[in-house]
Amino acid sequence: MTDTVLFLLVDGLTSGLVYALLALSLVLVFTVTRVVNIAQGEYVMLGALTLADLLQGRMPGTLYLLIGGLVLCVILDAGRWRRDWRQALLYASGLVIAGVAALALTRGALALHLPVIGMMVVALILVAPLGALIYRFTVHPIPNATTIVFVIISVGVSMSVQGLGLLIWGANPYPVDPIAAGGVMMGPVFIPYQSFAILITALLAMGGLYLFSEFTLVGKALQASAMNRLGAQFCGIPVNAAGALAFLLAAAFSAVSGMLLAPLITANYEMGFMVGLKGFVGGAMGGLIDYPLSLVGVMIVGGLESTSAYVASAYRDVLVFSLLIPILLWRNTRSRVEAR
Amino acid sequence: MTKLLEVANLTVGYGEAIAIDDISFSVARGEFVTFIGPNGAGKTTLLNNLMGVLQQTSGTVTFAGEDLKMLKPEARVARGIVIVPERRELFPGLSVEDHLRLGAFLRRHQGRAKMAAALERIYALLPKLKERRKQLAGTLSGGEQQMVAVGRALMAEPQLLMLDEPSTGLAPRITEEIFEAIDRLKAAGMTGILVEQNANLALSVAERGFVLEVGNVVASGEAEQLRQDPRVLAAYLGAGDRYREAMTDT
Repeated sequence: MTDTVLFLLVDGLTSGLVYALLALSLVLVFTVTRVVNIAQGEYVMLGALTLADLLQGRMPGTLYLLIGGLVLCVILDAGRWRRDWRQALLYASGLVIAGVAALALTRGALALHLPVIGMMVVALILVAPLGALIYRFTVHPIPNATTIVFVIISVGVSMSVQGLGLLIWGANPYPVDPIAAGGVMMGPVFIPYQSFAILITALLAMGGLYLFSEFTLVGKALQASAMNRLGAQFCGIPVNAAGALAFLLAAAFSAVSGMLLAPLITANYEMGFMVGLKGFVGGAMGGLIDYPLSLVGVMIVGGLESTSAYVASAYRDVLVFSLLIPILLWRNTRSRVEAR
Repeated sequence: MTKLLEVANLTVGYGEAIAIDDISFSVARGEFVTFIGPNGAGKTTLLNNLMGVLQQTSGTVTFAGEDLKMLKPEARVARGIVIVPERRELFPGLSVEDHLRLGAFLRRHQGRAKMAAALERIYALLPKLKERRKQLAGTLSGGEQQMVAVGRALMAEPQLLMLDEPSTGLAPRITEEIFEAIDRLKAAGMTGILVEQNANLALSVAERGFVLEVGNVVASGEAEQLRQDPRVLAAYLGAGDRYREAMTDT
């Protein structure tokens, strides 16, 4: 019995950490831009499939998405050429250089047959900018839209990115190598090395985000934009750049989460949506604004998921999403107390 | 004197409603002007337009010879147009010193030494901020918050400092402290636009004044002159009764 409990605990902790990266992304995006990003899980899929391509020696389809996005950026900027052609030229050439650099980096990585960690870094560099691009196309043009409009837009983004994923990778699942194969017996429980990798990466990511926001001025500026958009503008903080940065960092965290998760479940074009929603359930615990509470939330989600998979596996997702109801009720009573 | 800011036929509205109706004025370098008038006269709207968070329907704003129309708020801050907003717009979870550093966000590449020197200048002007340096802005009193807003604006090294009702909601003693700081800035050659409901206070600081009512400038002139203007006296300087008496006597 204790073996089973311990096993479920480790399993729950592992998935909890994967969802933690998602919840972190959701909180970051929501606080800075007020976007409840339903599409956050799609970066999980993009991260996993990009890594799968790189590990199997193919040019990842993500590269075409990235280059396409950069081209679209230049087209959207067309109006500036007449006003200020120097700035416009600088901007366009910057994007061209970024595209060429991404291409060169991918080719180089494929030629060198980098180890899994190296390929993860390359995949991260390809996927993270997509977050900033999606911000540019969807949120930047309408910064003052209401939350509900952004929710609907993000559902649209989620569907489009999934469609593009299906187009590029097809419906087949792709196996992804873990960072380190094998595992270790700890007492009665077998723990795969990948679980350690997930633990370490998640802690590094969270620690990194904490250090960045607390000890750099740009990090403080990001916090400032989250706390008071108008005040941030009055300080000369470019709030659109802050929003794009939040989307970029969030895409990076989610992509990492996908790359860590993929070896456990294989990667496919629709894997992101579910993971995204489970991260959302955890994030809801913190009202999408509170990092520590969101972490508690995702750990509960991870734990419930692993135990329900054991007890009643058919109802696993039902049970996890039902968790949203008590969480929202609890938030509701809490916010009433706060209001008083 | 060279004109730093020139506003010509400026009209600003929210949809159909016009808040600023075709006004023109200019501010010379080193000059402090004030806009007085009741709530809803369009004073804050004017400053928000100058800051670039609210676009004008027509008219032009020229700052140091440059048309501001297409410039975003951050570009205006970079040119030295800085505001102390009416609602202070602080970041409740950040410390006083964080606010000051963020005020100099656009000059962050100038290095630690310059940042430290700038901080010291602000602490010399507003000593209370130094005591509260590590405290979160959300836990400060209203007066201290106002000082943070002023300090944050000054960290941007303004060419034109706009103060939106700095006395609102503050105890007279605190207001005095803030206005002493403004006086010192003025003596150091700062150009400014002061928006106030407390006309007496505003006219004691500024050299020139404009009376704004429902989006129109209804009176303007030297501060001394405006203080004597019977309409201003009646409406804004709390001398309404005396004015009416004078009118009925004649």
